[in-house]
Amino acid sequence: MAQYELYRRSSLGMALTDTLDELISDSHIDPQLAMKVLSQFDNSIAEALHSKVKAKANIKGHLHVYRFCDDVWTFIVENPQFRFDGNEPVTADKIKVVACTAKVAATNQPAAGGGAGNA
Amino acid sequence: MSAITAPGTSALPGGTPIQPTEGPTNSSGIVPTLQNIVATVNLDTKLDLKTIALHARNAEYNPKRFAAVIMRIRDPKTTALIFASGKMVVTGAKSEEASKLAARKYARIIQKLGFAAKFTDFKIQNIVGSCDVKFPIRLEGLTYAHGAFSSYEPELFPGLIYRMTVPKIVLLIFVSGKIVLTGAKVRQEIYDAFDKIYPVLLEYRKP
Repeated sequence: MAQYELYRRSSLGMALTDTLDELISDSHIDPQLAMKVLSQFDNSIAEALHSKVKAKANIKGHLHVYRFCDDVWTFIVENPQFRFDGNEPVTADKIKVVACTAKVAATNQPAAGGGAGNA
Repeated sequence: MSAITAPGTSALPGGTPIQPTEGPTNSSGIVPTLQNIVATVNLDTKLDLKTIALHARNAEYNPKRFAAVIMRIRDPKTTALIFASGKMVVTGAKSEEASKLAARKYARIIQKLGFAAKFTDFKIQNIVGSCDVKFPIRLEGLTYAHGAFSSYEPELFPGLIYRMTVPKIVLLIFVSGKIVLTGAKVRQEIYDAFDKIYPVLLEYRKP
C-alpha cells in the first residue's frame, strides 16, 4: 500500500533517517534495507496517527492565502490560535497548513511503498 | 442608501417604448441596490492552468470537478473563473467600475505569471439588483392578473417569478416585499424594471 512520505520530515522520521544513514555508513545494513525500513515507517506512522491519536485541536485565524492543486490544500493563516483540548491557547504570527487527501492515488507515488511488509 | 449616479442613459434594445429614466422616478424613492455583476474577458492567449494554480495565491484547480482555475481577490471582492482558452469570467462585483477593475487585476496576475495576457472584449453579461418595498404583497392576486408574465408555484419556490419583456428583466417578488431583479446588461434596465413594477406592487399590497 502506497503512503505519503510526508512524515519522514517529522522529528521522529528525521531521527530514523539519521540512524539509518549512520548504519549504512558503518556498513551495518545496506541502503535497500534502509529504504524498506523507511517505507515501513511511512505505513506505520500513518496507521498510528489514524488509530492511536485521539487528541483534537482547534485552529482559528485569518486565512491570508489558500491554494488547491493536485489534491493538496495549502493554507497560510495569520495570527492563528491553537487550542488543544481546552488547554491554554498557543499562538503564532503565521503558519502554513498543508493537507493531502487521505487516499493516495496508486499512480502518485509508485516508489513509496513497493515491497514494504504489512504493518 | 446614497444617490446612485447612473452612467449615462443606456440604450435599451429594440427601440423600446419605455422612456429613458435616471434613478428613481416613482414616488417610492426606492432605488434598487446592485448586488452582483458578472462580466467576461478574453485574455487572448492559451493558459496553462496548473502553472497558474501553483503560482498564484488564492487559487483552486481541480480538473476532475471543473475545468477552470477559481481565483479570488479581496479588493474588489470578486471571484474569477479562468479557462485554458484564455477566457475569464469575473463575478461578485457590486458596480461596473469594480467589475472592470477586478478583471484588470486578474489579467495582471496572469501576466505576472509569464503569460502574454491581453485585456480584450470586456463585457458585462448580467447585473443583479435588489430592494425592499417595505410592504407585504399578495402574490396570488398579482400572478392572476399578470398571468402572461408571472409564474408563482409556492410548492416549488416561495417567490413569484415575473418575466418582464420591456426591459427584458426577470424579477423575483416575495411576499415580504423583497424584490430581486436580474438579467440586465446595464444598470438602467434594473431601475426601469423597478419603476415599472412598483405601481403594480402597490396595487397588490396586502391590506
